[in-house]
Amino acid sequence: MRTFLVVESPGEEPEAWSASLDNDANAFAVVFDMHRDRLYHHALRMTTNVHDAEDVVAAAFFELWRLRKSVRVVDGSVLPWLLVTATNLSRNLTRGIRRYRSLIASLPRATEMRSSEDVALERIEETRLATNVREALGTLAPADAALIVLTTFEYYSPAQAAVALGITDGAARTRLHRARTRMAAALGTLEDDENINATKETNL
Amino acid sequence: MSTMEMDPVFTAALREALVATVKDTPRVRRRWRWRVGTGTFLGVTLVVGGVALASGVFSLPGAPVNTPLGNVITATRTGTATIDIGTPPATATDVSLALTCLTVGTFDFPDESSMICGSADLIRPSIYRTGSEVVPLTAGVDTVTIKTSPNATWRLQAMYVNQVTTSWGVNASGETYGVANQKGTPDLVAVIINQGHTDGYVKETELNCAAGGDVASLAEAAAWDKTSQNRNITIPVYESDGVTVVGTFTVGSATGPNAQTVPLSSLSLGC
Repeated sequence: MRTFLVVESPGEEPEAWSASLDNDANAFAVVFDMHRDRLYHHALRMTTNVHDAEDVVAAAFFELWRLRKSVRVVDGSVLPWLLVTATNLSRNLTRGIRRYRSLIASLPRATEMRSSEDVALERIEETRLATNVREALGTLAPADAALIVLTTFEYYSPAQAAVALGITDGAARTRLHRARTRMAAALGTLEDDENINATKETNL
Repeated sequence: MSTMEMDPVFTAALREALVATVKDTPRVRRRWRWRVGTGTFLGVTLVVGGVALASGVFSLPGAPVNTPLGNVITATRTGTATIDIGTPPATATDVSLALTCLTVGTFDFPDESSMICGSADLIRPSIYRTGSEVVPLTAGVDTVTIKTSPNATWRLQAMYVNQVTTSWGVNASGETYGVANQKGTPDLVAVIINQGHTDGYVKETELNCAAGGDVASLAEAAAWDKTSQNRNITIPVYESDGVTVVGTFTVGSATGPNAQTVPLSSLSLGC
């Protein structure tokens, strides 16, 4: 039997989000502080370097503010919406982030900027897995990819994911089954390709 | 710097940019809305609820029809200033104003409606940073004063109009229907629901009741506020016959895990 981890939203989030909707800038900053790390970890999984991951996080929060009136709140939390948005932004990096490109470019960054190669060398196994997952997610329809992200990587139940995506519980479960099958197939194909490549390298 | 933590310099700058964005987001405060219905309490609830009362919608019964008279006067100023708009034509009743902010700032119309513009608005097309009001003429006054925050620059377009308020409709049951205007509020008040896809009418009595009724004191208002923090109330939306139900109108802005949305008919509010 599959069990789902119940993700509880921090007690103060509903209050902070509600105040944010009343244009309380400090409350919005609290929401940012609550979710930025988890969103960044997700963005790292979905992009090829830290710079892009930071851009995705920034754009997701700007989108959260822009679309605040239509954001779907799941059990008092906007995190599922942020995760879905970050997934979509990652999949379509250029167009999705263009709206905020000049704003994000104006933000300072630490001089100790590390290249994607450094990161890849440090986390070679993690990076390989992340690349496979990203490529497999890329084979799915956007809504299916978001379902996989929420339920498989972020431990939301299908019912919670359904709310975040604005679909019925039944539709979420049906799509999830299809998405998991396709994801498994895509990952299997990628693994096969890697094994073939590894064999070729060994034979060199 | 760990790769699993976002660059702290970038994080701090992003946080600051988000705070600035929220602070700069304009809020057009339409104080005239507060006069719609029975009082401030009702107005606030509807505006915060993000559902539009169809006040001022041209084609609805009771809506004002403005006929332009004369030329459009255009002026650009910085700071609080008074614009001479010339002698009004004999048939003029009101002056139509369109104010565009050219810098950040707060801009007050003569009727106390106000508009706030932030830096994020300045990069948007002018239509998104233009506020419009139609204000009644004051006998012997042919100027318009716009009050602003220091150094705020604006462009005003002003034109005299003749305003005629159309009549409310009357249905088979004798109930009036249309939009609220200076004559008061009809029995059936026009509303827009489903993100603008459905027009209909709510009963003024039910709207008042769901919005807290007539509060007699601040204490009563505070008590209602506390009760309605986690509660939205839905009321039926009818066709102009006041009988055929076409949807529901939600009064309230409660969100979060404890928020409940209940029909008015399930409550005993005594109104």
